[in-house]
Amino acid sequence: MEEGRFVAWLRKDGDLVPEGEPLFTVEGDKATQDVEALSAGVLRIAADGPAEGDTIEVGRVLGWILAPGESIPTTGPAGTGATAAASSATAPTAPTAPTAPTDGLTTDAPSESPARAPSSPGPSERPPASPRARRAARQHGIDLATLSPTGRGGRLRERDVLTAATGRADPGEIPGAPQGWTSVPTPPMRRIIAARLVQARRETVPVTLTARADATALMALRRHLKSEAAPGESAPTLNDLLLKLTAEALSLHPMIAAVWAEDRLLLPRSIHLGLAVDTEAGLRVPVVRDVGTSTLEEIAAATRRLIAEARSGRIAPADLQGGCFTLTNLGSLGIEAFTPVPNPPESAILGVGTIVRDVVALEDGGFVARERLTLSLTFDHRVNDGAAAARFLQSLRGLIENPPFPIP
Amino acid sequence: MTDADRTSPLALYRTMLVIRRVEERLARSHRLGLIHGACHTCVGQEAIAAAVCAHLGPDDPIFSTHRGHGHALAKGVDPGAMVAELYGRETGCSRGRGGSMHLFAPEVGLMGTSGIVGPCILQAAGAGYSSLVLGDQRVSVAFFGDGAVNNGAFHEGLNMASIWRLPVLFVCENNQFATEVPFASVTGNPGVAERGAAYGLPSVSLDGNDALAVEAAVREAVARARSGGGPTLLECRTYRTRAHAEGMGDFTYRTRAEVDAWKERCPIARLRAVLLDRRLADETGLVALEHEVEALAEAAHASAEAAAAPAPEGATTHVVAGPRPGPPREAPGTGPGTRELPFARATLEALSTSMSQDPRIFVLGEGIGARGGNFATTNGLFAAHGPVRLRDTPICERGFVGLACGAAMTGTRPVVDFMFADFVLDAAGEIINQIAKMRYMSSGRLGMPVVLRGCIGIGHSAATHHSGSYYSMYAHFPGLKVVVPSTPRDAKGLLRTALTGDDPVLFLEHRELMGLKGPVPEEDYSIDFGKASVVRPGRDITVVALALMVHRTLEACRVLEAEGISVELIDPRTVAPLDVGTILDSVARTGRLLIVDEDFAHCGIGAEIAARLAEHGFDDLDAPIRRLNGSPSPTPYSPSLEAAVVPDVRGIASAIRDLCAE
Ligand SMILES: Cc1ncc(C[n+]2csc(CCOP(=O)(O)OP(=O)(O)O)c2C)c(N)n1
Ligand SMILES: [Mg+2]
Repeated sequence: MEEGRFVAWLRKDGDLVPEGEPLFTVEGDKATQDVEALSAGVLRIAADGPAEGDTIEVGRVLGWILAPGESIPTTGPAGTGATAAASSATAPTAPTAPTAPTDGLTTDAPSESPARAPSSPGPSERPPASPRARRAARQHGIDLATLSPTGRGGRLRERDVLTAATGRADPGEIPGAPQGWTSVPTPPMRRIIAARLVQARRETVPVTLTARADATALMALRRHLKSEAAPGESAPTLNDLLLKLTAEALSLHPMIAAVWAEDRLLLPRSIHLGLAVDTEAGLRVPVVRDVGTSTLEEIAAATRRLIAEARSGRIAPADLQGGCFTLTNLGSLGIEAFTPVPNPPESAILGVGTIVRDVVALEDGGFVARERLTLSLTFDHRVNDGAAAARFLQSLRGLIENPPFPIP
Repeated sequence: MTDADRTSPLALYRTMLVIRRVEERLARSHRLGLIHGACHTCVGQEAIAAAVCAHLGPDDPIFSTHRGHGHALAKGVDPGAMVAELYGRETGCSRGRGGSMHLFAPEVGLMGTSGIVGPCILQAAGAGYSSLVLGDQRVSVAFFGDGAVNNGAFHEGLNMASIWRLPVLFVCENNQFATEVPFASVTGNPGVAERGAAYGLPSVSLDGNDALAVEAAVREAVARARSGGGPTLLECRTYRTRAHAEGMGDFTYRTRAEVDAWKERCPIARLRAVLLDRRLADETGLVALEHEVEALAEAAHASAEAAAAPAPEGATTHVVAGPRPGPPREAPGTGPGTRELPFARATLEALSTSMSQDPRIFVLGEGIGARGGNFATTNGLFAAHGPVRLRDTPICERGFVGLACGAAMTGTRPVVDFMFADFVLDAAGEIINQIAKMRYMSSGRLGMPVVLRGCIGIGHSAATHHSGSYYSMYAHFPGLKVVVPSTPRDAKGLLRTALTGDDPVLFLEHRELMGLKGPVPEEDYSIDFGKASVVRPGRDITVVALALMVHRTLEACRVLEAEGISVELIDPRTVAPLDVGTILDSVARTGRLLIVDEDFAHCGIGAEIAARLAEHGFDDLDAPIRRLNGSPSPTPYSPSLEAAVVPDVRGIASAIRDLCAE
């Protein structure tokens, strides 16, 4: 994270705050987060402190926690001298940058230095941009990866950022909206999603394979679990079942979850699976830990919590990181097959389609009704060939058709 | 003490003894590691310093060499302060900035010992010139070794002192070696006095180990100088009986027997014998004196050793004069008194006003007297101020710049008019090593109001010896201010500031602008250094240019205006100090920077501006920083070749267009 949207102060200027007290809320790439006081003291909000909705860059000084009687350091503009000049009692409060943890990944090539996992868009992965364009992008909360450069050699210039910035201000206020169009501001989450997708598109070689699986047995199991559940309690969902089966299939085909890192491939040590969740603010992908070694009940409990937190917008950044493979289910919206885009830095994603009651021809010339669903696997062709991906799908289909869970 | 007391044999004896005992103490301290740098003693040569300085008052300036302890002590520098300087202490006479080779005590007339062989001769001539301008009858002295006699400074200095009858004593301490090189081996005519005679100076060759003989000769020479009789050269033959510098070997170039023989001719022992012989002192009295001096040397050591080291925070103070109090100064706006004047007329107004107001100002140059200057820079001033203040010089650039240095050190304000800045490269050492460093070396006690002016720039098929720019080179050196005006109006105000300030200024005037006309307010005004002028405001790109390039860029701006490109043009006006702030502010608005500079790109002012921008304005940049420079070659003669090495209007316009497209 390099910047975030400032949501609100939770305490007022001049408040005496205990250590650990939430001070303000900031919305980052992936989550909304309360930032807590690292030490007790008097909160002083910087004169140029952020207003609600402002984009703030990481490291910017928003205010100070002062010892009683201490005054605000007077050096330089916020974010430059203030941090360095703050006395030991003075802790500048600034947004922190949650970074993707790189543990949980292992490399299949011997290496002396810790393997570096591909991270969220960094400067080197962006189109070249002038320093001024980068600053303007920070100020306007625009991701440079979403812009079309007009400078020589494909360099983004300030004007490219400003054009984009003007294009997404409030409708009516915006000069330059094309004739016959009104514009609405791009929500920060939309921009982040867009940036990540563009990045995935640019950096991977995605191929999608689809396969139909007979889900009759699985649906029977699901109905059984539902009927077993105590009144008021929820049973594992189809997604929970599919997560468990996907983990099984991945343990048989670990290379499907491998990640491209140029001279090496990174293989996950544990199977943490992302689950795409549709929220009001847009797509979120919370991560269910250790799916391979968890029971169905544990998986169900985890997804319930994660989905609820993602929908309320209060999910912790840590819950949005560290996945090796994602499951996305558009079945409830009637979609059968689609071409999902992997969630960087992951290299593959499984799309699950709607359950269709199909008439299936039998060997003996008769017909039977079966419940079927379509699996859409997108994988990075750099990492795996089509046959390997097909074998993974084949295994998964087998698991779906003959679920390895005891049905009492 | 009366003059007679100070020059008495007993007084000389005491001075010599002080020098000897203090230097012997220094030799011990050097072995003990108390002295951090070089230490050249004058053991065996004390008679000369003692006899010469006995005839000088504290206002009579002396200029000394790397072997200057004796001169300093004889001139009245406190032994404790001198020893402390060698020990690198705060109480040192140069506040720890100089050490043995840079001892300064202007308050007693010690205008510095020096690490460079030669310039002291020119500086003493300059002090003599100050006496001439101020009419104050001070006599100055240059001490130098036989090594300096073969240096141009000796020849140029003696010649100038002779033609202008300057009140100067040139005292050559001929100890027969320059480091390890025998004088006889590096001169076709070993008679130093004969060289003086060649320039028309009364010149005397003396036994430098005979204090009384030296005293008598100095008495006569000082009297001649004070009464307007001009300079004298004294060659004092002597011998140093310690190594060239402490810690150096001594017998690769001379024998122990030779040294021992000279020790037998010790000037101190010799004078002691005379004192007893003539009953000017008795043994008991001398022994008591010797004990007193011994104790004095020990006390000097003890006080120096007890003194604190200077605080590191002060390491860069006294490089230039402190800020001028009062509000910022800028040229007045156009008013009823504003006329269209050529560049050279505008600077003439500033010089003329300054010379009328300040009798300490004088001008040196070739043809700046009755002729009024090659570019009419002094037109009419000779008639008003006469030959002392408008001095036509021999063609010895190094010599008269060194003389200007000594003059500035002793209370006058020289203006050196070179005609072409190329010529002054002969004087680079005097400018960079002496003029620029003098304020610092003297720990702020000597201001250096020297204006060095001359033409720069390519044009008129002047070819390579009349067309260099040089401002970047000078701006590199701390202590120098470098002014490069582009308009008559700025030139007048900036020259006025140069002539009233207390730091050395290179005032570089573009040859092709000397005839340029522009509005110049009639009143007297000054323009502060270090404040750029925004020649033209603009929106899309910042261009920084100096001198002629300002005008070429302005023309390019008019072309580009029609194309919808709006250029902000900034003229820094002074390269040192450089107004980076105005450039940063401008680029903060435009996001683009081009530096158009007639001078070479490599290590030039454009590189400096670009670096500062990258350091302080990186986030403001929307495109790479660009430079457009003169070609890296000597200037050719033929018009077609000449035009090819200087940025022209079309080139500037296309560089701007190109950068706007980045
Ligand atoms: C311009 C210059 N060149 C070379 C030196 C190095 N140097 C220091 S002392 C010295 C010898 C000077 O001889 P002399 O002038 O006879 O003085 P002495 O040391 O004999 O007193 C030399 C060559 C210098 N300091 N300055
Ligand atoms: Mg010598």
